[in-house]
Amino acid sequence: MPFISRTQRQTDYNLIPPSCPIVIDNGASYFRIGWAGESEPRIIFRNIVQRPRHKITGETVTIVGDHDPMLLKYFDCTRSGPRSAFDNDVVFQFEIMEYILDFAFDRLGADEAPINHPILITECACNPVHSRSKMAELLFETYGVPSIAFGVDAAFSYKYNQQLGICDRNGLAICSGFTTSHVIPFINGEPVYEACCRTNVGGYHVTDYLKQLLSLKYPHHMQRLTWEKVEDLKMEHCYITLDYASEVRLFQKGAKEAEEKTRCWQLPWTPTPVEEPPSEEEIARKTALKERQGQRLREMAEAKRSSKINELENELKGLEFLIQQLRHVNGNDIPSFLAETGYVSKQEIESAIVKVTQSLRKAKGEQDEIEEKPEISNSEKYTLIDIPDNMLTPEQVKEKKRQLFLKTTSEGRQRAKQKRFEEELERERRNKEDEQRRLENPELYMEQLLVKYKDLSEKVEQRKRLKTNGNNGNENVSGGVGRGERLNAAQKERMRLLTTAAFDRGKGEDTFGIKDEDWQLYKKMSKDNDDEDEGPNEDEAELARVASKLREIDPTFFPKSDASSSGTEPPRFRPLRKEDFQILIGVERFRCPEILFHPNLIGIEQAGLDEMAGVSIQRLQSKSQSLEDSNGLTNSILITGGSCLYPGMSERLEAGIRMIRPCGTPIRVLRASDAVLDAWLGAASFASTMHFQRQVFNKTDYYEKGEDWLRRYQLKYSF
Amino acid sequence: MKCCIKPSEDTRFFRFILMEQEVIESEMILPTHLSFKKIQMHEKYPKGQARGRHWKHLKQIIQAENYQNYPADEPNYVNIESPPSMHPRKQICDITGFEAPYSDPRTHLRYANTEVFKLIRSLPNEYVQRYLALRNAAVVLK
Repeated sequence: MPFISRTQRQTDYNLIPPSCPIVIDNGASYFRIGWAGESEPRIIFRNIVQRPRHKITGETVTIVGDHDPMLLKYFDCTRSGPRSAFDNDVVFQFEIMEYILDFAFDRLGADEAPINHPILITECACNPVHSRSKMAELLFETYGVPSIAFGVDAAFSYKYNQQLGICDRNGLAICSGFTTSHVIPFINGEPVYEACCRTNVGGYHVTDYLKQLLSLKYPHHMQRLTWEKVEDLKMEHCYITLDYASEVRLFQKGAKEAEEKTRCWQLPWTPTPVEEPPSEEEIARKTALKERQGQRLREMAEAKRSSKINELENELKGLEFLIQQLRHVNGNDIPSFLAETGYVSKQEIESAIVKVTQSLRKAKGEQDEIEEKPEISNSEKYTLIDIPDNMLTPEQVKEKKRQLFLKTTSEGRQRAKQKRFEEELERERRNKEDEQRRLENPELYMEQLLVKYKDLSEKVEQRKRLKTNGNNGNENVSGGVGRGERLNAAQKERMRLLTTAAFDRGKGEDTFGIKDEDWQLYKKMSKDNDDEDEGPNEDEAELARVASKLREIDPTFFPKSDASSSGTEPPRFRPLRKEDFQILIGVERFRCPEILFHPNLIGIEQAGLDEMAGVSIQRLQSKSQSLEDSNGLTNSILITGGSCLYPGMSERLEAGIRMIRPCGTPIRVLRASDAVLDAWLGAASFASTMHFQRQVFNKTDYYEKGEDWLRRYQLKYSF
Repeated sequence: MKCCIKPSEDTRFFRFILMEQEVIESEMILPTHLSFKKIQMHEKYPKGQARGRHWKHLKQIIQAENYQNYPADEPNYVNIESPPSMHPRKQICDITGFEAPYSDPRTHLRYANTEVFKLIRSLPNEYVQRYLALRNAAVVLK
C-alpha cells in the first residue's frame, strides 16, 4: 500500500483565524502539514528536493516532493539526485528545509506575508540545539511566524493513542521510522528521555538492503530495480517471521510451503522469434566447408615449407660449388675472385655453409646437434685450471678465470641436458602406462579423462575470471580503486594496513619507523601472497595435454572454449526464456526486515528492537524508578511509525521481549491506530488544547533567553 | 514549447519563464518568488555565488554541542543511542540467507553449503566486495 502524496493547493487559508496553529510533522520520509484540530493533514509529500536543469533554457529549477517521472524528461537530472534535509533524523540542510517549507506553505494557500499562525513542528528525540535554533531562526526570520513549539513525534503518537484508549498512561512507545528507531518509556503520561533508546536502523535501510540483494542476484535487471520500485515491493511483500532459523530451514529444504511463499515478479518480455535449429544438412555442409578450409591451409603450409627447403638446398649447393672452385684458385687471387660473390674469405663461406645446413635441417625437422662443437677440445681448454695462481702471469690468470667460467657453464648445461633426458624418460614411461590402461579398459579411461578435463577447465576459467576485472556484465563499478579490484583478500588487507599506517601520521611529517612498535605492522600481513601466480601455467599445460589426448581417442569430444566470461550473463546460444525475466523474491521477503531486530546483519553494531526495549527499561530502573512501574510498562507497548507495518511485527516483538523480561510479566503489544499519520494527529489534537498556548515561545523569548534556555526547552504533553 | 508567464502578485518580479505547457500545468516547479516570505530565496542565496553554504553535517553538529560539558545523566543526542547488541551474532549466508556455519577464508564470505561455495569461488571480485559491503565488511582503501 504505497503512500499517496496530497499536494492540492488549499483555498481556505484566509478564512482561518490567526489563532489557529499550523501543525507540521517534519519526518525524514514524508512531510505533513495541516491545521490544528482537524482529522487529517491537508498536504502530504515526500520530504525531498531536486534541483535539475531545464534542458532547453538551462535554468535550474527546484522541484519538491515526488512527482510524475514522465515530466522529468524535459530536465537534465544527471547531476541532481533527490536530496533530503536530514542526516540520520536531524535536520542539517536548512536551504533544502526552506524549499520544503516554501512549497508547503504555498500549497496550504498562504499568500501574504507573514505567516501569522503559531506553528507546532515535530523533531527527533533530544534534537541537538544547533538544529533547533536554526529551525527557529528560519521560521522567525524568513516567514515571520509569531510563535513556535517543538515536540517529539513518537510522544505525540503515544498521547494520541492514549486518548483513544489504546494504551495506558504508563507504557513503552516503540517508534520505527525511516532512518532510526526509538524506544521511549512513558511514566504518568510524560516521556522519560533519560531512558530513551535509539538505533540507527529504519525503513530506509530495509529498502536499501532489499535493493542491494536483488541487484546482486539479478544484475541484468538492475535498471528496473529503482529505489521507489523496491520500496513498493518491500511494502507489498515483506514480512517478519517469528523464528528466522526455522523459516529459513523451510526454504533450504525446498519444501512446498517455501514454494508458495516465494513471490515472482514477471517483467515485461517479448519472446524473440525462434530460429529453426540448423538441420542436419546444414551441419554437414558447414563441417565440410571447414574441412576444406583446413585442408587448404595445410596445403599452403606444406607448399611454403617445401619451397623453403628447396631454396636452402640451392643455396647450399651454390656455396659448396664456390668452395670447390676456391680450391682450384690460387691463394692470392682469392680476394678478387670472391669479390664478385660477396664473401670476403674462405672462413666466411664455410660458416655460411654451416648456417645453411642448420636451417635446412630445422626445416626438415631434424634435431640439430651443434652442441658437440665445444666438447672437442675439452681437455685442451681447461689446462690452466689446475695450475695454482702464483705460478701464472696476470694474463694467464685472466685466461684461467675464463676457462673456469666456461667449464662451470658447460657442466651446468650438461646437467640440464641430463635432467631433461630423465624427464623425457619419465614422461615416456607415464605415457606407456596410460596406453596400457587405455587398452585394458577404454571406457573407464575416457570417463576419467573427461572428469579430469572438466575439473581442470573449471579451475583455469576461475583463475582467469579472478585475474581480470569482472566487468563484463555490469556497468556499476562500486568502490574498487583501480588496482584494488584485482587484489585478493590478503593483498587487500596488506594494502589497507599500509595506507592506514601512512595516514595515521600528521600532515607533512612521516614518522613511521621512529618507534619500534611500528614495524610490528608487517607481522600482521599474511606472507602467502605469491602462491597464486605460479599455479595457472602448470594447470593450463596439463589441460592442453588432456584435451589433446581426449581428441585422439574420442571422436565426439569438442574442447570447451571460454564462451561466457561471467556465469551470470545468459549464454548466448540459448534463446531467452520467460524465466529469465522473472525476479523471484523468497528468502529476501523476511530476511530484509530482520535487520530491524539484528542490525549487525548489515554491519551496524547496535541492539535490535526487542533488545532496545530491555535496554530502555533497564535505564529507567537505574534512574531509581520503582520496580512496579517498570514491570507495568510492558503491559502497554505501542508500536508506531511507518516501519512497523510489517505483518508479524507484533508477535515477534512480544516473543522477543518475553525472552528478556522476568517470567510472568504481562506483555501486551498494541498497534497504533494509524502508524503513519498518528504523529501528526497527536500533534494536531495537542495544538488545539489550551495547554499548547502556554508552551510556545516567540521571537523575543528566543533572542532574550538564548541558547541555553532553548536546550532545556521540552514540551509537556499532559495536563 | 509554449512560453508562459508565471502569475505573480508582485509585478516587480515579473519572471518570463519558458517552459513546456504540461510542466507548467502540473505546477511542479517551485516559484521563485513567494508572497508570504519576508526574504526571498534569491536574495538570501544570490545567484552566481558558489552555493557552497557549508552546512554542518551531523557529526560536526554533535561535536560542536560539547556534550561533555554538561552532566552525563542529562539525555542528549549521543547518550540515548543504543549500546552494541548482547545477543549472539546471527550468522547467515551472504548469498542465500540460509544459516551459515562456514566462512570462506579467502574472501571472508559466509556460505551455507557446497553449492553456494562453488558459486562464491566463481564470483568476480567486484561482486565479492559488494556482498561484503552489505555487511559493512568490505576493505575500504581510504
